[in-house]
Amino acid sequence: MTAQSIDYDTLVSDDRVHGRVYLDPDIFEDEIAKIFHRGWVYVGHTGEIPEPGDYRLRKIGRAPVIMVRDDRGEVRLLLNRCRHRAATVCQTAQGNAKVFRCAYHGWTYRNDGELSAVTYQDGYGWSFRKEEMGLTSVPRMGTYRGFVFGSLAADGISLDEHLGAAKGQIDLFIDLSPEGELDVRSGVNKYSYTGNWKLQIENAIDGYHPNLVHQSTFEVIRKRTKATMDAFNGNSIGETRDLGNGHVMLDFRRYNRAGARGPRVLPTISGRGPEYRDAMVRRYGAERAEELITAGGTHLLVFPNLILIGVQIRVVQPVSTDYTEVYLYPTLLKGVPSEMNVARLRGHDGFYGPAGGIAPDDIEMFARVQEGLHAEVDPWLLFSRGLHRERRDADGSIVGQMTDEVPQRGIWSHWKKVMMATTELPHHQADLRRVAAAD
Amino acid sequence: MDENAYDEWLSLWTDDALYWVPCNRDDSDPAREISAIYDDRARLQGRIDRLKSGMAFAQDPKSRMRRLISNIEIEEADNGDLIVSSNFMLVELRRSKQDVFAGRTIHRLRSDGDSFRISHKKVLLVNNDEVIDNLTFLI
Repeated sequence: MTAQSIDYDTLVSDDRVHGRVYLDPDIFEDEIAKIFHRGWVYVGHTGEIPEPGDYRLRKIGRAPVIMVRDDRGEVRLLLNRCRHRAATVCQTAQGNAKVFRCAYHGWTYRNDGELSAVTYQDGYGWSFRKEEMGLTSVPRMGTYRGFVFGSLAADGISLDEHLGAAKGQIDLFIDLSPEGELDVRSGVNKYSYTGNWKLQIENAIDGYHPNLVHQSTFEVIRKRTKATMDAFNGNSIGETRDLGNGHVMLDFRRYNRAGARGPRVLPTISGRGPEYRDAMVRRYGAERAEELITAGGTHLLVFPNLILIGVQIRVVQPVSTDYTEVYLYPTLLKGVPSEMNVARLRGHDGFYGPAGGIAPDDIEMFARVQEGLHAEVDPWLLFSRGLHRERRDADGSIVGQMTDEVPQRGIWSHWKKVMMATTELPHHQADLRRVAAAD
Repeated sequence: MDENAYDEWLSLWTDDALYWVPCNRDDSDPAREISAIYDDRARLQGRIDRLKSGMAFAQDPKSRMRRLISNIEIEEADNGDLIVSSNFMLVELRRSKQDVFAGRTIHRLRSDGDSFRISHKKVLLVNNDEVIDNLTFLI
């Protein structure tokens, strides 16, 4: 079956999804083309590459990308592919480089991508123009407060339009720093699982599973702090929220505002003292400082694969229908006492690493789902929880109770829109077709 | 460890325990960088409590393991503790998937009667900068 014949309208409804969307290699290829090679995809954070020459190797979909700060201090996204015969020009995951040299035939590029040397250049004749043969840039790059995104399509909606209401949530994540800046150089946890990439994004903003899947860790917390964890109870006053464009979240603000009935859900500012609060008030004013501290960060999916949870920037990398890699980049806050940043790191280690008390249990569930999906006699997955009680807030977002599947429905309705879209073809593709027709 | 004997393993540690498995690189700075494991005694207790709860799904089913230990070097620290370094190779099987882990372990052992207890353990995994799907067994 070809991509053209996939009936997305039948596969995804308001309350259910067909299991084929996690299993079908044609759908996976179509996702790479339409979601990852066309839309905006998070690449990295400018805080990872503070000095000229600093770089990180990343991917947009399958395309290998170098995120680099050039000698003039400008952040660039260069495709990691020699203009000669396509070998990658940079091999190490991170570092600092004045030049990227292709080892195959020696073509050498400056860290702004410009081609500076070609081996035996006279062999290319007089018409060869080095200035036209630099490393290709990712067609579009955009940043929001240090978060760098790229799009492999030359045209499409702006990053600003894509992010929409998610920007306010990204602000909550960053502005726990009294300087409004993150330090993103604390390493990375990398884990993989035998399941489809969408299982991780559905789970990251799922408020229904924690009391079940994570009860062993909640019990350890309960024993240590003597507090009850009721944020994920069926009667929690915490909320789920669909911000539009596939951006969805667990919203703990109302729960946290109501007073500490249990431990704070987001352990992102533990150990905070009067010193921290004062610094926050000085920077943001009393009202906003209170709002930021109460929110404690965010718990957000930015469609398709950027997740902000706790102290981490999490990136979901689809590899195949049933294999996914996930990268967690913990962040430090600039301008806070160092003990607070240490507490952020230890909270992260304990929960989310491959030996942590939270993420490995989630991954186990993904493996179980992926196995169960193959029982296709009844192929549907149910996403109807709370459908009867969701409502639209004044700001246009859709809100439900903490355990409702509002976020999953938000992901799936946007996914369907993107997968069915025929009008958002990059212009150069449309142009090519017109040329072909004229011939 | 190969038998998942959690209580027996925990009883080997001193009260000032530090159990450290760096990630990304062997000599990371725990004050500025994350680790795969960085447990003091209280966290170690929590780790074991969780594993024993029957609700730690990443160990349901449990890993089946065998490990070989070799290249052992022993030094004496200033306070009489022993610093014992050794290589290990661990074969781990779970959910029909068999993985190999290898690395160098540095134990700091403190004399306790006619035996020793572990005060520090640092595990330098060969693959600590690579994708790891499950490290919830005793490493």
